[in-house]
Amino acid sequence: MKREEIISRYERGTHRLGKTVSLITLVLLIGAPFLIGSTLGAMPDLGAVARGFLAVGLVWTVSSVVEFLVYTPMLGSGGSYLAFITGNLINMKIPCAINARDLAGVKAGTKENEIVSTLSIAVSSLVTILVLALGVLLLQPLQPLLQSPALQPAFDQVVPALFGAMAYKYYRKNIRLAVWPLLLMSAVFILLPSLQSQTSILIIPGGGLAILLAWLWYRKGKKQ
Amino acid sequence: MTVIGQLSSPVIYLICGGIVAFVAVVCVIFAVRAWRAGKAIGMDTAVLRRVVTSSASFSVLPAVSILLGVIALSGALGIPWPWLRLSVIGALHYETQVAQGAAEQVGIHLSGSEMTAPAFVTIALLMSVCIMWGMILNLFLNKKYTGRLSRSQGGGSSFGDEAMTAMFIGLVSVYLGSYLGQWISSGSVFTFAGSALPLLTALCAAVVMAVLTAAAEKWKLRWLEDFSLALSMLAGMACAALLGAVM
Repeated sequence: MKREEIISRYERGTHRLGKTVSLITLVLLIGAPFLIGSTLGAMPDLGAVARGFLAVGLVWTVSSVVEFLVYTPMLGSGGSYLAFITGNLINMKIPCAINARDLAGVKAGTKENEIVSTLSIAVSSLVTILVLALGVLLLQPLQPLLQSPALQPAFDQVVPALFGAMAYKYYRKNIRLAVWPLLLMSAVFILLPSLQSQTSILIIPGGGLAILLAWLWYRKGKKQ
Repeated sequence: MTVIGQLSSPVIYLICGGIVAFVAVVCVIFAVRAWRAGKAIGMDTAVLRRVVTSSASFSVLPAVSILLGVIALSGALGIPWPWLRLSVIGALHYETQVAQGAAEQVGIHLSGSEMTAPAFVTIALLMSVCIMWGMILNLFLNKKYTGRLSRSQGGGSSFGDEAMTAMFIGLVSVYLGSYLGQWISSGSVFTFAGSALPLLTALCAAVVMAVLTAAAEKWKLRWLEDFSLALSMLAGMACAALLGAVM
């Protein structure tokens, strides 16, 4: 079978599978509170849900739109379906897929990248499911260790440790590109402290600036 | 039986465990399809194997920190529901905030002593409703969006790759900038009263990554390259534990 045929068949299957499992997961997640409620003899207060959505949900809706627009090009279609079903994007799935792409030496936008990204997210999700299942099984003996005050700072700083390591990996090869977004974002967070809790929204201007600079240098390089 | 006891009963485990098992099967299907497609288009098995090992090793530490989120929420919501939410769709930073916001809407504090069955099911539904939008967008727009992207990139033009690298650099810069801001301007500008721990942790992990990368390149240690991210994170977290004890 020709490469194009294999890819086209794989893509069609990915969308069919992705849509089906997304829909089933949605139904399961919305249905679970009602099912649990029926065993407890209680039903959700839909008025409180609507009020709660207006109070806390709208911010997350905007954040979800940003995440979809930004992360889907990085992950490709299969990776994107799977990452949005399994969650923990910024602290796990995105760095995992980017790291895998780097190790495999594939380029964004290629079918090889789509495959590597899907494989890495699937493996990462399975490891998370396994660790959490084991953790829940062994919760009693593990709890004192995991919640010990000495280890608390370590577990609170997983994301900074992750981004520190990733920063070195990406900045060293693109230091000219990294300087300006880092300076601008640092200035924003220093001068406007209220934005420190809005990091996910600021990914758009931070990433946008980096892409703009990359585009300008790309064009300059092409002209030369 | 208390409400917390009911929320950790076998039937609730069965409901939540069933959904987790479904998602695990979905992951296996996606992984097998990707592996087979990779082989069919001529990708090297060794490369695919490296992707699997590096992704698995990288994921263990963040997964343990996610487990802490399950423990943190279990006091108020029982064990199965936080387990489900953090295994499927949820995000560590999201769940606690939304659960607290949802508890306020039903007029209680997020604690086991105040939890009632109607409050729990309302909080659980709100947690699902608030985070489902990424999945809904994927359901309706993924095909159109990725199709348009692949047409504009022409099957992987060189700028498409640079743009994704730039986007990721921008993303990392936002987080590093926020750590600097948290230290320098906590509450109001230039107070230097905030915690420097996130910034120092990131610096420590970056230094260890630099050392491991140099070692892997000098001695051509491919296995070290695969584990360098996980090891750097571990070093950063160890550094945070040490600094946390003295700061």
